[in-house]
Amino acid sequence: MAVKFSKHHGGWIIFATFAVAALFTVFPLPQWLESYRPEWVALVVIYWVMALPDRVGLFTAWIAGFFLDVLEGSLLGLNALALALVAYLALSLYQRMRMFTAIQQSSTILILVGIHQLLSFWVLTANNQNTAPNLIFMISALSSAVIWPFIFLGLRYLRRNFHVA
Amino acid sequence: MLGLALLSMIMMLADSRFNYLDQVRFYASYLVTPLHWLADTPRSISDSVNNNLQSRSYLIGENQRLKEQLLTQQYRLQKLEHLEAENDRLNELLNASSIVDERGVLAQVTGESPDPFIKRVLINAGSTDGVYIGQPVLDAFGLLGQVVEVEPYSSWVLLITDPQHLTPVQVNRNGNRAIASGTQDSLHRLTLNNISDTFDIVTGDVLVTSGFGGRFPAGYPVGVVTSVLHDPGEPFATVSVEPTAQLDRSRNVLLVFRGDAE
Repeated sequence: MAVKFSKHHGGWIIFATFAVAALFTVFPLPQWLESYRPEWVALVVIYWVMALPDRVGLFTAWIAGFFLDVLEGSLLGLNALALALVAYLALSLYQRMRMFTAIQQSSTILILVGIHQLLSFWVLTANNQNTAPNLIFMISALSSAVIWPFIFLGLRYLRRNFHVA
Repeated sequence: MLGLALLSMIMMLADSRFNYLDQVRFYASYLVTPLHWLADTPRSISDSVNNNLQSRSYLIGENQRLKEQLLTQQYRLQKLEHLEAENDRLNELLNASSIVDERGVLAQVTGESPDPFIKRVLINAGSTDGVYIGQPVLDAFGLLGQVVEVEPYSSWVLLITDPQHLTPVQVNRNGNRAIASGTQDSLHRLTLNNISDTFDIVTGDVLVTSGFGGRFPAGYPVGVVTSVLHDPGEPFATVSVEPTAQLDRSRNVLLVFRGDAE
């Protein structure tokens, strides 16, 4: 066992999960599946805030959102703002969320990602870029909630296996 | 939270109203472009596998077909060159400025906008290839869109069917001008704005770019009129246009450079 002086380690795992989430976000999907794409980066932000609130917080979420904006070619700051808000809400909820059952966690995710989606679309509307014909974009909050238990288990496995702290 | 929120709002404002952040985005995109390449690898692998695993007889057949196609195209091109020269002479007689020469550079579509309501695609040519904002993009069948964002090795193309995109067009049959805009509902539909009921347009009319606004060179095919609806209760006719470009299938696209610009 190597002795480390820093109390933090496994930072590259956190970075890698964000990178993979960003990759999934831009991965080409068939047209009909596109609306169901979960908000991968938001889920990863919520997980790390829940697991390591002292390490991953508003700032990390904001930086991740910034690069997501560049990646998607969207309005610079849009995802940054939405993800920072999600991280803020998750920071105030993490103690409760750790105690929740899977169903309760998923419902919380539904609300958090729902807020994320609404905020993004409010901003886009304010900027005259909102081209969604109806509330179909909220579907991705649902798919995020459905996929959350698997994300949670997968990321927890990574965190424990690689001793991310 | 408040600080970061304020910062993002200022950034969004600066990004949407001014060009201050283009440099930031440009350099940050060096870091994220590899992700786009990675996301495109399954497609490029399947492309190269397809290329390598074609049967001999198929290739011979394809070769034959392409040769025939080349022959007919060359035949047409000869006529076109003659017509172009004649057109130039006539233009000179009219003292009009001669038509600018255009040339295309091939690029590949490597991704599309993850937001299903924003019709944008990513192509694998960027500022290092001389791509600039506002550059027209075509495919083999017609106008695809224009470049809206340039990164070092890739750029975003806004498709003509995006609701935010307007294309100045004219009817090929009689030269009537109109503005074609994208629609929210479908990737494959354009509508013409403010078409009065007396406007001479019928189903099957071919629309080409009119060259107005100076963004798109004149004469590239945009779409074919699929329906013209005259509703007495509406001030304008409803005209549906199907784009000729294969907006969701084109892999190879053409970036148009004007004359000696590069």
